Amino acid sequence: MSAAAEKQLLRVANVRKYFAFTKGILFSRTLGHVKAVDDISFEIRAGETLGLVGESGCGKTTISRMILNLEEPTEGYILLDDEPIHGLEGEALKAYRTKVQAVFQDPWSSLNPRMTAGRIIAESLIVTKWGDKDKIAARVAELLKQVGLRPDQAQQYPHEFSGGQRQRVALAAALASSPKLIVLDEPVSALDVSIRAQMMNLLKDIQAERNVAYLLVAHDLATVRHMSDHTVVMYLGKIVEKAPTQALFDDVRHPYTKALFSAVLIARANQEDEEIVLQGEVPSPLNPPSGCRFHTRCPYVMPRCSQEEPKLRDVTPGHAVACHLFD
Amino acid sequence: MSDSAETILDVRDLHTHFFLRRGVVKAVDGVSFTLRKGEVLGLVGESGCGKSLTALSVMRLLPKGAARTVQGEIVLDGENILKRTPSQMREIRGRKISMVLQDPQTSLNPVFTIGDQLREALVRRAPAKLKEIIKQAVAALRRVDIAAPEQRIGQYPHQMSGGMKQRVVGAIAISGEPEVLIADEPTTALDVTIQLQYLKLLKRLQRENGMAILFITHDFGVVARMCDRVAVMYAGRIVECGPVKQIFEAPSHPYTRALIASVPKMTGTRGRLTAIDGQPPSLMNLPAGCRFASRCAHVEPRCLEAYPGTTQIGADHTADCWKIGSI
Repeated sequence: MSAAAEKQLLRVANVRKYFAFTKGILFSRTLGHVKAVDDISFEIRAGETLGLVGESGCGKTTISRMILNLEEPTEGYILLDDEPIHGLEGEALKAYRTKVQAVFQDPWSSLNPRMTAGRIIAESLIVTKWGDKDKIAARVAELLKQVGLRPDQAQQYPHEFSGGQRQRVALAAALASSPKLIVLDEPVSALDVSIRAQMMNLLKDIQAERNVAYLLVAHDLATVRHMSDHTVVMYLGKIVEKAPTQALFDDVRHPYTKALFSAVLIARANQEDEEIVLQGEVPSPLNPPSGCRFHTRCPYVMPRCSQEEPKLRDVTPGHAVACHLFD
Repeated sequence: MSDSAETILDVRDLHTHFFLRRGVVKAVDGVSFTLRKGEVLGLVGESGCGKSLTALSVMRLLPKGAARTVQGEIVLDGENILKRTPSQMREIRGRKISMVLQDPQTSLNPVFTIGDQLREALVRRAPAKLKEIIKQAVAALRRVDIAAPEQRIGQYPHQMSGGMKQRVVGAIAISGEPEVLIADEPTTALDVTIQLQYLKLLKRLQRENGMAILFITHDFGVVARMCDRVAVMYAGRIVECGPVKQIFEAPSHPYTRALIASVPKMTGTRGRLTAIDGQPPSLMNLPAGCRFASRCAHVEPRCLEAYPGTTQIGADHTADCWKIGSI
């Protein structure tokens, strides 16, 4: 990794996001808080990919919404290039949106069906008054080529594209403003198996070309392993394990991550049957378990796990785990 | 699985087409397979390859007016069910053959309690006093590992998690002790750790009941975990069929090979994925020759001229390709 790539692009520092849970309208009372994200910190370096893994309800979408500046943290802060991203207004907010873009899971609902692909891609350029008509048209053509589509396909509407092509259009639209970071929220899980590899290769090629950083939100560990440099595993609003991807996949530490790994169904015959099958379901984030939030489902639970919350600490340099087993 | 195992479901040359104003969509176009007593057969393919429509044809639950089975035989336990009347089919469904769909949210009725919906299935099987039926319903829920079933039968679907709902759907599906269960992507909507729980449950129920399962999925990991044999479908046809071990260790059809190669792996180097270029052909305008020819790396003139016959590779392993043995 070069010195330039070592630079931190995005810093998420001790971020919490609580959603109030209220009853009544006029004299409403707050009954409690859903702790969607609870004291999360991580960094993304320029040009690298961070994989964010967890089951539904673990807070990964809330994190990405805060990074996209669609949601303000209750506590903590997020910095892009050492500048806080929340509280921005007007032009500054617009400028922020050009730097951080997103590609969502479902290309059927993320593209406006009444706009042509060209218009969808040009949208951010028009909003920021990037250039005149011809300049924008040339840029759109260039972007389409970059994502493997033909420039003349700018005239087509979303329904005229297949799922894989739509996701390419969404990517071209995200790339239009030359962002530094793209939030990829399950970018391939809605695509067909034979199309996924095309998309993953394309994402990697574009990263190599443009040095754009990705926050990859995914539940499929094999996709995360293939795509990301660092991996963060979340459970019920907390980070349970964080490490360089290679280190994490070589040496899984946290019992929850272990369970996730054994839930990965590998496409090969004769699988050995020694695995951790978690009992029960993810508890409600409205009333998370005391101590370690995973203790209700953990196969290695100890008495102190229900009383004391484990801190996220390095077990080997760069590999952090939040579990009492490693104290 | 011994070769002498009895066949419970034999589908022969099934053609199910959609008749639209614009033309005929040949969604299932010559599918043949056999399902033996007590085995799990995987039906794998991408969306639009006809796997779900094959299942609906076998259930005789095709969307009215739109799709029709125009040719073929579906022999269930010795009788061709395509010749049965709708009221006879209602007797067959649930008792001999049953189905679990992808999304538990839509397969359960939101305005009836779980108990009501189970009762409906149980009464159809064997009318009895209400008290007796409730007892049976509780037992059915206990069988699918639902905790506190006495309380659960009074609850509505929205009060349950996705995994639990899918268990209830499973309980209803097997309440009539069917000999064949069709599971159409039953875990796609579930989280990974919950998916593993559900697959283990299905496997256990299958062993207890000795029922055969036709397991429809797009995920080779699920196939490796669940199935004895697997049939790979592409553009309305089964292109390869064989024991899971052989398909994974020595896939014969270029499509199966490409599909297995395009999935990111959990071990080994993280090289570029081998993507399959292009897209499946339009089902309205199928090529005369092999349907995979336009995307195949080994294509030659005869592939474009005529559809290859089925080649026997091993005792139980077949593939539709001209070039078996030479690639």
